[in-house]
Amino acid sequence: MSESYEYLFKFLVIGSAGAGKSSLLNNFIGNKFKEDRCHTIGVEFGSKIVNIGGKSTKLQIWDTAGQERFRSVTRSYYRGAAGALLVYDVTSRDSFNALVNWLRDARTLASPNIVILLVGNKKDLEESREVTFTEASQFAQDNELMFLETSAKTGENVEEAFLKCSKTILAKIETGELDPERIGSGIQYGTATSKRLTAPKKPPRTPSDCACHV
Amino acid sequence: MENRHAPPGVNSRSETAAQSAADLEVLREIEHVYFSPPAQFDAARYALEHAPTPPDCDAIHRMFTKLKRQQQVVSGKALHLISQQRDNCDREFAEIQNIREQLAQTLQTCREAREQLKTASNHLTISTFVILANVRKRQIIKSVLKSLELLRSLRSVEKDVADLLSKKEYFEAIDLILKSKKAAANNKEYTCIADLSTRLQDTLDMTEEKLDSVLASICHNFDEDVFKKLKKAYDLLGKTQAAMEQLHMHYSSAVNESAIEAVKPFLNEYTIELKFQEMCQSVPTNKAPMCLLNLCENLFRVMRSYYLLVNWHLKNEEIQPSSSVFDIEKNVSREYIKQKLKAGLIRIWHDVQAKVSIFLKSSGLEEFQFEKFIQMLGILRKLTQVAEIFCGDTSDLLQDFIKTQSVSYIKNYHRGRMEELKLFLENEGWEQCPVKATFNVLNLQEFKQFRKYLNPKSDIVKGPQSEATSSVPSQDDSVYISKYFTEKTSKTPFEIFRNANVTNDDIFGLEPESEGSDESDDEPDELRRDFVEDTDVQDFSNDIQSSPSKIKESVIVTNTTLSVLRNCGQYLQICRYLPQISLEVIMLMNQLFDYYFYAVHIFFTSDLDVASSTLYSTKLNLVLKRISNSINGGDDTKFECPSNPEHLDMISEANLHGLSERIVGVESVIFLAKQFELLQPYLESIVASHQQMILEHFRDNTLMVVEDLRMPVYMCSASKAVDARSALIAMSQVRWDVKNVAVEHSPYVDMIIRKIQVFALRLENVATRVTLNMRVVQSVWGMVSKFVVHLLVEGFSNATKCSNGGRGLMQLDYRQLFVKLEKISGLKPVPYQDYVDKYVKAYYLPRNELEIFVRDRTEYSNKHLLALVSCACENKRDRQALTAIIECRDAGS
Repeated sequence: MSESYEYLFKFLVIGSAGAGKSSLLNNFIGNKFKEDRCHTIGVEFGSKIVNIGGKSTKLQIWDTAGQERFRSVTRSYYRGAAGALLVYDVTSRDSFNALVNWLRDARTLASPNIVILLVGNKKDLEESREVTFTEASQFAQDNELMFLETSAKTGENVEEAFLKCSKTILAKIETGELDPERIGSGIQYGTATSKRLTAPKKPPRTPSDCACHV
Repeated sequence: MENRHAPPGVNSRSETAAQSAADLEVLREIEHVYFSPPAQFDAARYALEHAPTPPDCDAIHRMFTKLKRQQQVVSGKALHLISQQRDNCDREFAEIQNIREQLAQTLQTCREAREQLKTASNHLTISTFVILANVRKRQIIKSVLKSLELLRSLRSVEKDVADLLSKKEYFEAIDLILKSKKAAANNKEYTCIADLSTRLQDTLDMTEEKLDSVLASICHNFDEDVFKKLKKAYDLLGKTQAAMEQLHMHYSSAVNESAIEAVKPFLNEYTIELKFQEMCQSVPTNKAPMCLLNLCENLFRVMRSYYLLVNWHLKNEEIQPSSSVFDIEKNVSREYIKQKLKAGLIRIWHDVQAKVSIFLKSSGLEEFQFEKFIQMLGILRKLTQVAEIFCGDTSDLLQDFIKTQSVSYIKNYHRGRMEELKLFLENEGWEQCPVKATFNVLNLQEFKQFRKYLNPKSDIVKGPQSEATSSVPSQDDSVYISKYFTEKTSKTPFEIFRNANVTNDDIFGLEPESEGSDESDDEPDELRRDFVEDTDVQDFSNDIQSSPSKIKESVIVTNTTLSVLRNCGQYLQICRYLPQISLEVIMLMNQLFDYYFYAVHIFFTSDLDVASSTLYSTKLNLVLKRISNSINGGDDTKFECPSNPEHLDMISEANLHGLSERIVGVESVIFLAKQFELLQPYLESIVASHQQMILEHFRDNTLMVVEDLRMPVYMCSASKAVDARSALIAMSQVRWDVKNVAVEHSPYVDMIIRKIQVFALRLENVATRVTLNMRVVQSVWGMVSKFVVHLLVEGFSNATKCSNGGRGLMQLDYRQLFVKLEKISGLKPVPYQDYVDKYVKAYYLPRNELEIFVRDRTEYSNKHLLALVSCACENKRDRQALTAIIECRDAGS
């Protein structure tokens, strides 16, 4: 494939089950909205190259299962994520209440520097809203998160959410706050840049120093 | 008249009888000659001639008197006679008068009659002449008028023709022109007409051009009425055959134009100089499917028009048998047209195919999204079905093209999936995904459609042979497509693709896969939720070793396993739509497996620190080598090997060097292999029979081999259970040249057992994270045992001197060890005991058997055997001979 990009950002989409994480991702990478989507099992994956401030950037997005029983599976994907969309459902108070735990997980498991954007999804369902914009804004402010309300169904703010988050990461790289060279930063130089970090590093196979011949 | 000649009478009324007598006498005496008519007789002369001969007075007198007397008498007589006749005369006179009057009257009448007749005759003749004259005049005027009319009509012929043409009365228009031409030719004497005649020729030419353009419009939309009119017009012109040639040219250019028109709206900028291919190349990829759809629709319209044209000819131009020369000629022409039309079907289809092929070649097909690609395949499939109806062509060209394009698409698609898989593998946490113990691939939504072929519950695998392997559209399809080949519809079979809700099955005309009736419990929507384990992971299997019966037959899958399986589902979907490349797709699907398999091997054996000749079965070695060759390499059919994950803890002893991840890795490969095996009957049913052996080969040499991966991977953990160095040191401290057989086993045994106990404890911890089934546990312990036996042999072979008692001690040691190991591991018997057992007991073999032993037992190293020989052979010559054999063995191998 003839794709070239300057940066690759590892992204997470996290949040309670049914908040619409997969729908957000699917909307973002250009698939149709499906009314009743099944719960994600484990982790799903999507990628898209976007242009952020003139730099083509590949987003490698891991869409995690929200259900509790997949926590052990999804946990391993947090590592080294550069950005995360923390998603709740504006029509579900429970999903909003769970944000604290998700946030803690993200900051501990991924990276303390992870750029997190709070997403209040399903804003199209205004009539059954349970979480107000102000309330969520306050939460975002308290936890130093960016905040957007989206609708994966109508597509409103979906792209913005990913872009806003990416922009922030890029800005942090430029100010030196984030170092792409650091292992586990969740950022890689892409094919368009001269460096490639993805070159296979095979650890030299240490020949048996054990005397036994099996 | 006698009377008159008689001497004239004398009037008797005045004379007496005497006198009368005398008078009579006198009368008689009158010579007759006097009565002669005066003209013949001259009385004077006569009297002189007859005068008396001596002329004397007397004689003369006498004669005078006599003549006098005679004259008197005659006068009297005459008088008398006159009076006598007077009445008669009067009467007669009156009569005459009367007649005269009557005559005058008659004359008058005649005159009048004639006058009237004349009038009458005058009246009649003149009116007739006027009429005639008028008629004549009228005729003249008429002819003048006609000429004028002709002139006028000739002058307005252009306008009339235009009117007729606009009313689509082509025949009439041509007729008019031809007649006008004829008229013009007949009236050459008029100077104005002479000019006109050339203009008429121009009009005719223009009209023919107009007809031609109407003919061209037929290509896009065949209208029977219009065509009939055209045909009639061309018949009149005598140019039917030429028109048909022309029409074919029009069809050719219609294909061109439609193609260009279809692509044009999708271009950002269009210039006339652009070639079709260049146009296709500049269609943005995201618009390409829509553009293809447009293209096919437009081309289909041309095809439909042609199809209708041919049909019309078949219906209306039956060749009538006839003997007349003229008809024969006509029939020949008809036959020619018929042939031409028939050949045209193929030609047009070839043109269409060429256009579509050009488009496809330049459209960057590889970049399509999967759904779009499937949709595009659907469009092409429909097009081939259309061709089938259109000209009975199986459209090999397009089919081949579809095939090669599909293969290249699928390869590209596969490349993407492989890259994704690499990413998944590199990020995989090797955590067990919570799924039900009954989970299998069919629970995945992607396999919904395949359940009916694959349901393990049903004994018969019903191959979808009939539908999937046949590229020929079914009867229903052709009926369905034929509907679009009628005149009165503007719809095309491609419209289905404009519907956003259309499913792939709709597109491919595949029967929607209904759920098998035997399992009505599954709602499709529930499918994915259904297989997910509902109980909490932590709930089960805390203590495996103590009660193996409690070990669940669980399923170990990772997130990546599921993603591979889902991809397989997609691949199989592709096969459904592209049965002709099933094998290629399946091979790629197998490559997903290979890659996963290979990655697990790479990841989890990278720290294997024991030499591995017996850990790898021959087949395992072969398959790893095969995969390595197919994956690594520079060219673009190769894939980058996944980099070893850095996020896994594989060095901590507490978790047995990542044993749980290793188990999840290996077991998920095994599970994956099982799922592939499950699919095998279906896969075999969708490939050609001669290709089945390829699949069988894969099954036998790859899928069946994956369990062998347990050994090297688990050995990585198992070999670290006991620290080899310290164990060997401990063993070297044992004296093997003792005289008596000891009663107590050596201390190193306890040391090893303690290590094994620690391993067992840690394994229990692992079991809280991963459900360990019997086979896993056995395999892990098997590796521990294998490691231990090798360790023992190594240790025993370090003994340069060994007595019978020492040999006994060895037996005692390892027996003790295995009793313990059996207890700890639950394995009965502990495997691989033979290895050490045989080695130790070879010491007791007689010379010749020992020779066979050292020659055949390749599982022992030279060092082991040399040590054995040096201990076992007291005879120096035997020792040297056997040593030679051992060293020879090395050289020979």
